[in-house]
Amino acid sequence: MIPRLLEPLAAALPAAGFMPQRASSVAGNVDRVFGFIFWVSLAALVLILVLTVVFVLRYRVRSGRTAPEPSPSHHNRLELLWSAIPLALVMIIFGVSTAAWLDMIEPATGPDPLRVQVTGRRWSWWFDHPGGRGAPELHLVAGRPAVLTLASTDVVHSLYLPDFRLKQDAVPGRFTRMAFTPVLAGNFPVLCAEYCGTDHSRMLATAVVHPDQASFDAWARAGAGEALSLSDLGKKVLAAKGCLACHSLDGTPRVGPTFKGLWGREEKFADGTSAKVDENYLRESVVKPGAKVVAGFANLMPPVPLEEREMQGVVAYLQTLGTAP
Amino acid sequence: MTTAVSAAEPAAESYLRHGRGLRSWLLTIDHKRIGLMYLGLIAFMLFLGGIFAMVLRMNLWRPAGGLVSNDTYNKLFTLHGAVMVFLFVIPGIPAALGNFVLPLQLGAKDVAFPRVNLLSFWLFALGSALFVATLVAGGVDTGWTLYPPYSLEGSRGLGILLALTGVFVAGFSSILTGLNFIATIHTMRPPGMGWFGLPLFLWALYATAIIQIVATPVLGITVALGFMERLFHLGLFMPEYGGDPVLFQHFFWFYSHPAVYIMILPAMGIVSEVVSVFSRKPIFGYRFIAMSSIAIAVIGFFVWGHHMFVSGQSKWASVVFSFLTMLVAIPSAIKTFNWLATMYKGAIVLRTPMIYVLAFFAIFGIGGLTGLFLGSLATDVPLHDTYFVVAHFHFVMVGAVLTAFMAGLHYWWPKMTGRMYSEASGRLSAVLVLVGFNVTFIPQFLAGVAGMPRRYATYAAAFQTNNRVSTVGAFILAAGLLLAASGLLASLARGRRAPANPWGAASLEWSAASPPSHHNFDRTPTAGDPYDFGGLREVSAEAGWVRAAGGAP
Repeated sequence: MIPRLLEPLAAALPAAGFMPQRASSVAGNVDRVFGFIFWVSLAALVLILVLTVVFVLRYRVRSGRTAPEPSPSHHNRLELLWSAIPLALVMIIFGVSTAAWLDMIEPATGPDPLRVQVTGRRWSWWFDHPGGRGAPELHLVAGRPAVLTLASTDVVHSLYLPDFRLKQDAVPGRFTRMAFTPVLAGNFPVLCAEYCGTDHSRMLATAVVHPDQASFDAWARAGAGEALSLSDLGKKVLAAKGCLACHSLDGTPRVGPTFKGLWGREEKFADGTSAKVDENYLRESVVKPGAKVVAGFANLMPPVPLEEREMQGVVAYLQTLGTAP
Repeated sequence: MTTAVSAAEPAAESYLRHGRGLRSWLLTIDHKRIGLMYLGLIAFMLFLGGIFAMVLRMNLWRPAGGLVSNDTYNKLFTLHGAVMVFLFVIPGIPAALGNFVLPLQLGAKDVAFPRVNLLSFWLFALGSALFVATLVAGGVDTGWTLYPPYSLEGSRGLGILLALTGVFVAGFSSILTGLNFIATIHTMRPPGMGWFGLPLFLWALYATAIIQIVATPVLGITVALGFMERLFHLGLFMPEYGGDPVLFQHFFWFYSHPAVYIMILPAMGIVSEVVSVFSRKPIFGYRFIAMSSIAIAVIGFFVWGHHMFVSGQSKWASVVFSFLTMLVAIPSAIKTFNWLATMYKGAIVLRTPMIYVLAFFAIFGIGGLTGLFLGSLATDVPLHDTYFVVAHFHFVMVGAVLTAFMAGLHYWWPKMTGRMYSEASGRLSAVLVLVGFNVTFIPQFLAGVAGMPRRYATYAAAFQTNNRVSTVGAFILAAGLLLAASGLLASLARGRRAPANPWGAASLEWSAASPPSHHNFDRTPTAGDPYDFGGLREVSAEAGWVRAAGGAP
């Protein structure tokens, strides 16, 4: 609410050209919080500087002023006051910022978000889009929620979209996630923000936001079939590694739970806990199958070493098998 | 210069003349000589790190770079960061100025463990030598933050191992200094000095020492684990051996965030001394300032996760770290307002130390307030790892610490050397540092908000103006520092002899001769209020200030 009161002031900063465009659903909120902190901080800074200058001018030693005037050497109530006011201000900042952030990291993505698998590697980005097309640019649709699943095949990278006010590290050995809705069609810069070696500063890409789904589909179709899509790769991996001997695709429980409807399912484990099936759960179940054993099944599965791209493929393929009702 | 003693206490021989020859310096256990040796070494490290910075800034003159290769640029910013952090800013105030001043402010002969103090210096020298060896071995390009997997990849050779060993060894120096200071403050306070009679510089050093002995071992363990991970593939931090790179980030920031307070707390201590003496008024709200130092030291341990808001750490961890980060702003706010209240109705004397302190107010104000943008979750997401962060931490770690260091150096210079420096060059240097610093780093805030990531050897053409202004500022800043250095060094040859108490300060170091004798005090002094200026009267510029017998005027 408080940032909203300051909306005109907050909007002054991007309007004055200090910030990139607001190209995502979260950018407006972030800028409002930024504007609020900016004007509060500026007021505090001006207070400090004005007091400093005024005191120096008024109380500096000069002819006629050689000694200090009597004044108290402490004043508990005053000191508590200038502890309490900053405390109240930073707590308000914390409140508005955290509220905005919680909306930002877990936005409502609707039933059918555009899912993109993002791979960082030295020194370029690779984006696997639904429909099978992979590209060095990120393709999105204005107005359609997007969920990006980030992975890295070598060192830590960070996917940075300044116009979207978003950034997320891509960490080897785990998946991370970024979700938002692009609101402006056009081309926007994509950068790497986590230092990754020689050409870190040239690890650049473009985010192409299509004005509508039809435009995206046309782009996706044009390139389909050129190479094995990520989910087709996942399907091949499941067959080649023998996964399908124990995990069915049609809903029948065998030695292990079925893959049908697995994505997004609330899985119950032998130790009584439960978790929602997401990309990091799947990775753990492949790398360390004994870590979470699904209730009703025996702990029999061996760890299956997969290349990072094979792992991404398995995730992409299981996502296509539908979610639990 | 036959004898360098003041008129006030013409008895003993100065510590500078006590013992001659190189050996009497290198193996000295006199805290004052150890302090001076630290000062020489960290000044060299500041110069070395500064050269690296100037090459970086010149490479950024053009968006495509080109002065040096990308790899060389990456090595330069790594060594710039590592040398400045580990070998200048962290040891700067505590080890150099603290070593010299702490026993004197306690009216003591030395620190509690003088031999450990010498060991501490030589460990620091060894750590520094290992960094220079890293440079000779081809350098490292890991960033001073040493994030794996990049920093520990199998292809890395000797350089990273030397650098990790250097950090490890220099860390022990810091731990031993902290131990020594804590023991000294606990056991060697003079008659009449209770805990709330300590000068605030000592409260600051005490709080710093707590952080040094609690946090630095974690850094030592982390780099030792990194060393072993690189050689023996233990599977701690490297995903390819089954480790977790984010674990390293937690360990690293568990030390490296409190390390920011190792840097800023002693700086705040100097500001408390200088602002009181040069306002000719007792420090306002002594207890609040003393307790703020302790509060910063304690809360500062629980905020490290704010470096990792976009690293994939859990949501609620981020919320808690953000909350605690906001709390740590409060003690700094209290101190700032108490310093201003000290100036209120004072008699402000604009000598060089005070001008540096005024510069500190502006720079620390900006540095502290811009921290709010980064401690707050929503705004940190776009700003993280951009030039906004670079500008913010340079304002705090460099601008604020450096201006306070320069204030302290000029303030205690007459005590250390027995010579008065030139006020003209001192004041001009303070103005150049203030202007140069802001011209360098304010454009970097703007570049960060507009989306320029840090550690970029090349950049988009849109940021050229920001970078050029910044480079010009860096030259102004360098000129200010060189002017200060030349003014101080010139005073050794040409400076007027300093009286025991040139500023009219009331803490005990000013009752010793300038420079002090080898054993500091002929008789153990009795401590009074370190901020009671009543009764102090300036006899003349040459004779300095003396306390009139019979107390207050």
